[in-house]
Amino acid sequence: MRVEYINPFVEAAFNILKEVLQTEVNREELYLKKSTQPVMGVAAIVGLAGDVEGRVLIDMSKETAMKVASTMNGEELNTIDELVKATITELANMITAQAVTKLHELGFKFDLTPPAIMTGDNMQVSDLNVEALIVPLGLPQGKIEINVAIKERVGA
Amino acid sequence: MNMNTETVANSKELDEKKMKKIDFKMVTFTLAGKDYGIDIMKVREIHKAEKFTFVPNSSPFVRGVYNMRGDIISVIDLRVFFNLPVEKNEKRYENMIILRLEDNTIGVLVDTIEKVIGIDSSRKQPPHPLFGDINIKYIESIVENDDSLYIILEAEKIFSSETITESRTPEKAIPAASAVEEIVFDANAIRTEDNSKALNIGFIEETLPTYAGFYPTALNRDWVIDRFDSWEKQRGSDNTQLDNKEDADAYLRGFNSPFTGELWGDEYISALTSMLPEKSGNVFVWNPGCSRGYESYSIAAVLKSKNPEILLKIQGNDNDLINISSAPGLMIEKGRVPSFYDSFLVSSEKGTQFNEVIKDSLIFEYHDLNNDTSLPPLDFVVCRDTLSYMNEAVQLKVLEKIYESMKPGGLLMLGINEKPSNGSNWELIENNGLKLYKKK
Repeated sequence: MRVEYINPFVEAAFNILKEVLQTEVNREELYLKKSTQPVMGVAAIVGLAGDVEGRVLIDMSKETAMKVASTMNGEELNTIDELVKATITELANMITAQAVTKLHELGFKFDLTPPAIMTGDNMQVSDLNVEALIVPLGLPQGKIEINVAIKERVGA
Repeated sequence: MNMNTETVANSKELDEKKMKKIDFKMVTFTLAGKDYGIDIMKVREIHKAEKFTFVPNSSPFVRGVYNMRGDIISVIDLRVFFNLPVEKNEKRYENMIILRLEDNTIGVLVDTIEKVIGIDSSRKQPPHPLFGDINIKYIESIVENDDSLYIILEAEKIFSSETITESRTPEKAIPAASAVEEIVFDANAIRTEDNSKALNIGFIEETLPTYAGFYPTALNRDWVIDRFDSWEKQRGSDNTQLDNKEDADAYLRGFNSPFTGELWGDEYISALTSMLPEKSGNVFVWNPGCSRGYESYSIAAVLKSKNPEILLKIQGNDNDLINISSAPGLMIEKGRVPSFYDSFLVSSEKGTQFNEVIKDSLIFEYHDLNNDTSLPPLDFVVCRDTLSYMNEAVQLKVLEKIYESMKPGGLLMLGINEKPSNGSNWELIENNGLKLYKKK
């Protein structure tokens, strides 16, 4: 994980969450994880392609997802329905887009895929040979992990 | 009745359809009770053989050489190669498959040779990462046939080290096995010499990982043992134990290579420069454990001053986020570094840094060696005093990874007191106390 990529993601996640949820966001220590990692329950995934390849995964538990969606929509939501999924997807879109904009300003170019959302129990994400940077963020609604696994195109 | 014949006819038809699509044939054999296949186009013949001529100083999986109607071929025991149990063979003859690779003929010993099976190559499936017995890189694919699963091996991969180096006897060691042997050997040698000293060193070796995160293995054991005498002199013979982190750090004093955490000095640079080959085109360097980047910048300057025309990429890795984050913007105090670097420095109001030529060749990554990564073909690896702080399994994995990714003739630089545990793969080059290891 190239060091220049780290800060844009941390800052984007921090700023966006703080803004849309109007709450304090608690940054926890960053760390690296093996490429195979368990997913907490709801994961929005955004693919990256261009100078670098990889993906960004916004990962949280179902309870957190419902609470975050409730806050963002200003209404109480109690099931993972279309609205919750759409809200989390949008959140992923905003975070990744802001990070990519910051990176673009630094001279790194790449494209995004539209976010996809996955829900379920006991899921794992594997991506051989890429380790993931975990950006854990503590919120009153629960914990959100931004999971960034990108690498330089080999030989590029 | 009618329906039955119809079904039979149908299934026959299906079978025929399947038969028509056979476009891949493989020779199947067993290793430790499991079924494997190998592309028949790679197989020259099947042989029952005995009396292999032992080759001294070869890897454990090399059974020797064999005279096949006048052709001398090397023979490899595939079970040993894959760390599988070798069944005691009651019969005198062993089953051997003779493989024809690009410019090499090699015999491999297996448990039993079954038959030739034709399959539809579209039914081959990629290997699953969970296959335990055999390292996944040797597996081409998996195929199911008649309710059995066959693991199709990639013949070229297994013997790639030989085809590259064109050496007659395969020398690619199994790191795990050879390292263990070395350790046992070392320990025994000391024990017979002086029992209590060995015991004391043993205690120190056990406590170093706990207090200093330092793992004594074949990589650095020579130094750890040598260090004991001066340590004993310093502390007295009844006070050699390491009781806390300070003791451990004191014991390890002197282990680190020269110019750790600073730019390399003139002598070091000139010794290294004379050892490096002339290069042109793309040059890839991997520098794991680069910390704040002084090492990576030094390497860049050395390589660029030797061959200014090369397209250099140096990948610096560290798992300390704070250190590695400061590497891309490293500030230099001009006047306090050797004048060698002057032509690569630029000054601005913010301070002195390396110029664009050097900076553009460097990529710093936050990376933990415990995790896998993919590397381009490498020309040069500088990994000083980094592996010693990883446990043995990781040390071996990383060394294996380096060996695998290294271009033929590529150079490895370890810490001044380290040597590669998979030593037989590397040729030592020495100059002025500086040691480089060249991929054989």
